[in-house]
Amino acid sequence: MKKNIMSLIIWISLLVIPVLISGQNLLIKNGTVLTVTKGTIPKGDILILDGIIKRIGENLEAPEGVRVVDASGRYVIPGIIDSHTHIAITAVNEGSEAVTPEVRIRDVLNAEDTAIYTALSGGVTMIHTMHGSGNPIGGQNIVLKMKWGRPAEEMIVPEAFRTLKFALGENVKQANFYTPVLRYPQSRMGVNAIIRRELLKAKNYMEQWDRYLKVKKSKKSAKILLPPRKNLRMEALADVLRGKMMARCHSYRADETLEFINLSKELGFKIACFEHASEAFKIAKELSAERIGISIFLDNWAYKIEAYEGIAYNAAYCTKKGVLVSINSDSSERIRRLFNDAAKAMKYGGLSEEEALKLITINPAIQLGVERIAGSLEVNKHGDIAIFNEHPLSAYTRCEMTIIEGEVYFDRAQYLKEREEMTKKKPNEEKKKKGEEI
Amino acid sequence: MRVKNHLSVIWFFLVIFFFVINSSARVGPVYAIVNCKIIPVSSSPLEKGIIIIRDGLIESVGSPEEIAIPEDAEVIEAEGLIAYPGLIDAHTNLFIEFPKEEPRQRGRAMGSQEKESGRYPDVLAFKLLKPKKSTIESYRKIGVTTVLVAPKRGIYSGQSVLLNLNGEKPETMVVKNPVALHVNFSTARGLYPATVMGTMAFLRQSFLDAEHYNAHKSLYAKAAKGMKRPEYNPLLEVFIPYALEKKPVIFTCDNQEDIKRALGLIDEFKLNGILSGVNEAWRIAERLKKRKLPLLVSLYFKPPPTSLYVNQGKEMKEKAEKVIYPANAANLHVSGIRFALTSYGLSKADRFLENTRKAIKAGLPKEEALKSLSIYPADFLGVSNTMGSLSPGKIANVILTSGEIFEKETQVKKVFVDGILFKVKKPPEKGKAPVFNISGTWQGTVSWEMGELEATVEFEQEGNDITGTISSDYGEWEISEGYLSGNELTFSCTAMIMGETMEMNFSGKVEEDSIDGTITFTGGSAELRLTRIPKKSF
Repeated sequence: MKKNIMSLIIWISLLVIPVLISGQNLLIKNGTVLTVTKGTIPKGDILILDGIIKRIGENLEAPEGVRVVDASGRYVIPGIIDSHTHIAITAVNEGSEAVTPEVRIRDVLNAEDTAIYTALSGGVTMIHTMHGSGNPIGGQNIVLKMKWGRPAEEMIVPEAFRTLKFALGENVKQANFYTPVLRYPQSRMGVNAIIRRELLKAKNYMEQWDRYLKVKKSKKSAKILLPPRKNLRMEALADVLRGKMMARCHSYRADETLEFINLSKELGFKIACFEHASEAFKIAKELSAERIGISIFLDNWAYKIEAYEGIAYNAAYCTKKGVLVSINSDSSERIRRLFNDAAKAMKYGGLSEEEALKLITINPAIQLGVERIAGSLEVNKHGDIAIFNEHPLSAYTRCEMTIIEGEVYFDRAQYLKEREEMTKKKPNEEKKKKGEEI
Repeated sequence: MRVKNHLSVIWFFLVIFFFVINSSARVGPVYAIVNCKIIPVSSSPLEKGIIIIRDGLIESVGSPEEIAIPEDAEVIEAEGLIAYPGLIDAHTNLFIEFPKEEPRQRGRAMGSQEKESGRYPDVLAFKLLKPKKSTIESYRKIGVTTVLVAPKRGIYSGQSVLLNLNGEKPETMVVKNPVALHVNFSTARGLYPATVMGTMAFLRQSFLDAEHYNAHKSLYAKAAKGMKRPEYNPLLEVFIPYALEKKPVIFTCDNQEDIKRALGLIDEFKLNGILSGVNEAWRIAERLKKRKLPLLVSLYFKPPPTSLYVNQGKEMKEKAEKVIYPANAANLHVSGIRFALTSYGLSKADRFLENTRKAIKAGLPKEEALKSLSIYPADFLGVSNTMGSLSPGKIANVILTSGEIFEKETQVKKVFVDGILFKVKKPPEKGKAPVFNISGTWQGTVSWEMGELEATVEFEQEGNDITGTISSDYGEWEISEGYLSGNELTFSCTAMIMGETMEMNFSGKVEEDSIDGTITFTGGSAELRLTRIPKKSF
């Protein structure tokens, strides 16, 4: 009888426990640990329990049953964060109108986009996947972890800022595009005006709701009170004005960037970051004073009219001026070699190793509001880790393993082994097929 | 002698009199189907039984010991036949025709919100009904007596109607109207919303608007004095029963993400949701099981362009069509989920039955397949008290088959719809023998009011059936439902143009080295002219 009860309890706990624990357990041993924020441990261990980093140090012991990854001779860094991409989604621009803040990237997630795996192969564990730059006011972006093989909803990072995409310049004014139909705005002054107009509308909308709520709450409240119509477009902009959502603004030229900052001051909303910002070096002082970050390409310039004055020194120069800089991919291919781009910031402008690594780890984490859980190797942060065969800023480096919340999502050795087995299998299968047909 | 004669004349008139009275008082004749095996679905089978049909309803079902054959009944000897309830197809886009749309004007300024885009909630399938005799017959021939007909165009495509295939007159066919509001996760091509994320915002906004409109109306009804009256909105009026009064909303879900989108909307707005299409439902079976939502599983196995299988190459796409999608129903059954099987997406009734057999081959038990074509759809559509099984009091939709219904050789011999007997014609002649063999490569142009497009078409012909691909600057699209009868060629094609899905239907004439005809699609039509590219001889 007792035995039965015991076995029942064991069974129940076996069924229940996996549900309660989302993350995994893992011990990474003997790697060169580049914590990014807390220096380097030459022969360090990291213990991850239930997906969270529990200990970082030397000679850690693995609790029973915990998988050990030997990282001797390898470099262990926090998972790389891409602050600006458009992967893992099935739609980018709601280009039918100029103002579409009501649309949400979370509605078009695509967990099966192979770019997720590409990202993992480059040590990327987290991305900010965004609405495109087709509209002055685009849509609501989302932060995802690259949990390849998991359903999209499990990839969402709830701790991150809610962000709304804005865009300035060539892509939204479209005057130099061939389009069958013209859309307002067609100039930079129009872009500024339409954003201003819509935000003022949202102010008006908020006042309407405030008045309604005030009457509703007051003791003399009328019995019959109709709430204002809920407008999703205005709701999104109101959230920006209320500070519940941050602006992420695509802009290249210094002049329009400054104008947007002025607009944010006038209407009182927060800009988390400017995207691309190839002329940021011209206004580094202002960006630093306003504590607005930039998310840029390291060395892409002159590929379009508004990028003519871009320079490769942008990242290093702005960093030294106190601007929070991150390097983004904006691409499903470049995303796998962000560490190469970070390394270039040492050549162009002379950033230190640590400063360069920050461009792809803690800096984007701060820009996304996830620095408490990611961006560096510290106790109590998520176990999101990339392991490289050489120093991640070496030109010869290669990502060997990518771990999210203690779970190995990319293992180069394992992958190569599987691939070899598959190629061996395939000819046999084909022979079989042919045999059947005959 | 004289008196006797007189009496017999009176008797004669009396008989005539009663007959006339009787026949005018009843809807249909009385039938006694005898000596058949009966599969009532809702109860256990009878090896040899009798079904009495009177006034369009099933009067009784039972063994010869239990049931006496009424004197006024026409006896139908059904020795060796099996009686099933008429099958229900819970979602099809056939039986209706759209009025031709005005082509969109060019040069329209964008940036202003188009309120009308993709929004046809007020369209009633009933009003679009144009049932072709041949389509109705083809459905009856496979044992389907009841269909849910829904419009397809637009994000809100309109409201469906449930029909009994008892003739060709829409008024007498209607069982229930309207049944449900139909929602597609489609886009408005060039107008707002042009992406699915826009569609989601658009859907959410319209449910919010319906709530607000209804709140305003009911407040106004309580106290009109001192309140601005709500502006009458015919579109939002349509929404009220669906958004607020739990009338069913049917979401057509092409892939697993669509299913998640639908679940999100159903939760957010507390809708009485039904999911249709759902060829990828098995992928989130666990979640669907918990929800206990009615599922209308389509037996159209071609993966839509938005499916991930299409993006994983030709091999995967074929696997999806031949293996993965046909196994959807079986997998759902294993997960303990109930569903109805539908012909949604198919344009031929034969294919419906054929694909049911494919689902059975993939592991769906026959009994479950039968239920998913009878009692389950009846339940989902709220008509289980009158349809879906053979039991007294239900509508007399009964089919008599030569053998077990899903066996390949089985033929449907007789069909009763609303108690009206339809004899199934012998299988009609297949289309005329093709005059030409069009296999090979063809080149030409698609021209419509916006311009011209060069296209290359590869046809492959097998008897009357045509398959192939169309390729152009916009990509490669597969030809489906291709058929060549004599020199008349028809085919359909789902095109992806700049991220948008477009259904196209071609019909035209074939000559030795040229094909000439019209492509119709939602919102317009185009001319297709092709010439044959001779095979290179070496």
